[in-house]
Amino acid sequence: MNEEHGILEQVYAAKESVQAADQLIGDYLPFIRAETAKFLKRPPEEGRDDELSIAMIAFHEAIGGYAKHRGSFLKYASMLIRSRLIDYARKERRHRQTVSLDAPAAGEESASLGETLPEERDHPEESAHRQATRQEIEELSRQMESFGVSLSDVADNCPKQQRTLQACRKALAYARENSWLLEELVQGKKLPLAKLSDGSGVERKTLERHRKYLVALLLIYTNGYEIIRGHLAQVMEGGEAQ
Amino acid sequence: MSYLVMECRRSYAVLLDQEGRFVKAANLRYEVGQTVLDPVLLEEPAPKLKLLHWIGGGAAGLAALAAALVFAVILPLYHQAVDVYSSIYLTINPQVQMDLNHAGDVVELTGTNGDGVLLLEGYDYTGKDRLTVADELVDRAIDMGFLEDGGTVNFSIDTPEESLFQEYGMELRDEVTHHLEGRVAVEVQVVHYSQEEVETMAQATPAATPTPTPAPTPAPTATPAPTASPTPTPAPTATPAPQAAYQDTDYGPGSDGVTDYAPPAQTQPQAPSGDSGYDGGSNYGGDSNYGGDSGYDD
Repeated sequence: MNEEHGILEQVYAAKESVQAADQLIGDYLPFIRAETAKFLKRPPEEGRDDELSIAMIAFHEAIGGYAKHRGSFLKYASMLIRSRLIDYARKERRHRQTVSLDAPAAGEESASLGETLPEERDHPEESAHRQATRQEIEELSRQMESFGVSLSDVADNCPKQQRTLQACRKALAYARENSWLLEELVQGKKLPLAKLSDGSGVERKTLERHRKYLVALLLIYTNGYEIIRGHLAQVMEGGEAQ
Repeated sequence: MSYLVMECRRSYAVLLDQEGRFVKAANLRYEVGQTVLDPVLLEEPAPKLKLLHWIGGGAAGLAALAAALVFAVILPLYHQAVDVYSSIYLTINPQVQMDLNHAGDVVELTGTNGDGVLLLEGYDYTGKDRLTVADELVDRAIDMGFLEDGGTVNFSIDTPEESLFQEYGMELRDEVTHHLEGRVAVEVQVVHYSQEEVETMAQATPAATPTPTPAPTPAPTATPAPTASPTPTPAPTATPAPQAAYQDTDYGPGSDGVTDYAPPAQTQPQAPSGDSGYDGGSNYGGDSNYGGDSGYDD
């Protein structure tokens, strides 16, 4: 009883804080492993079995979705983990007919199918591109830190409804047309909510509710994040300010 | 859609999709800067209505404000109660569309192919929750000969919230599987709604003729009908196989007023099929998690 009460305190703290959620998952990793082992019928290996990662994200979902009326947290988490693992196994079964590149090639001893295929990618170039992307992301994270915002916070604060996402895009489109707003954001370390709302016609309440998300999105459209902007090919479609 | 890996943590990764959404996903050995195509995204929990809590707090000392709030709250709630928010298409061979409101209550039940219309004949869903309706429709399908061993029960769920898909999908799969356990071995599928697939499934079998079949007459009556024509009435033409199964039905126009229903014969519990996902680690045994602690809401 006391143990369950202790977990509940941790769960409710984890709902509010990314660090508390990480701590809770760390504390209950043996439980997550055990649930995965029940499903796999063998102990999972971290870094090798995707099922363990699926179980961890299901534990995250359990933290987010738990309420007292759902009963024991661990039973609820166990049920979610199992459901997610079943879904994942089904999804994987659909891909079973696909031949793995690691499968042995016919007529080639100790060579995999992937090794026998002609080289199509320029690995040094790809590696350099990934390195450049990583540097952009690290720089963005650093800049976001000065606003007190982390990437995990942004993921939690990201609009879920298409309509809200469109509203945020509209505010972004207005900021891009009026680049002094982006400069004001960078210089003042503060989102110019009133000006964005007045100019774009998006309700201030909507912008306030998604402040962290907007900080990240607007920062990406300041100087220096060309690769990330290149990835966001569809963001500006349908988001033009009126 | 491709996703850019923005942050990697031990238990999850933060990804950025091409439409500008930041999402959390299972960290399948990702690296920051990598582009991935088919991540396992974190599902958001369904939002819950805290109406009673609000009313309880607001009514304490501010009667006038509470009265104003009632008007502000009742109308949206009325719409939430009657407006269709999600739909579940149950396809066996008969196909039925179950419309649900925001709270997940059944607000409409429609047969979307000929067999579906027949399946619903004489069925009253009022006051029943979606799981009861699903169970009872599956039972009727068995009684009417539409569903037997080796058959498939497909739920195509059309909902604007992924979390609701998850919630409805899990509970329907668990409920129907549990309900049929030891009676009929069928595959229960839960998929996202796709208009094309649902329409294809509805047409997958010969649709029963929507015109009512003549009531079976056990023996020719000796008394001629007052308006009988001198030409003999042609014998009913042979109907396709599924229809033949409900010529003697208790439901609809074929009903003779006397029930033919008998509890289904107890069959030996069937081992789960290889691809059911429910294997030796099933929770449907003595250590079931589907008891009072179930995480499902009504």
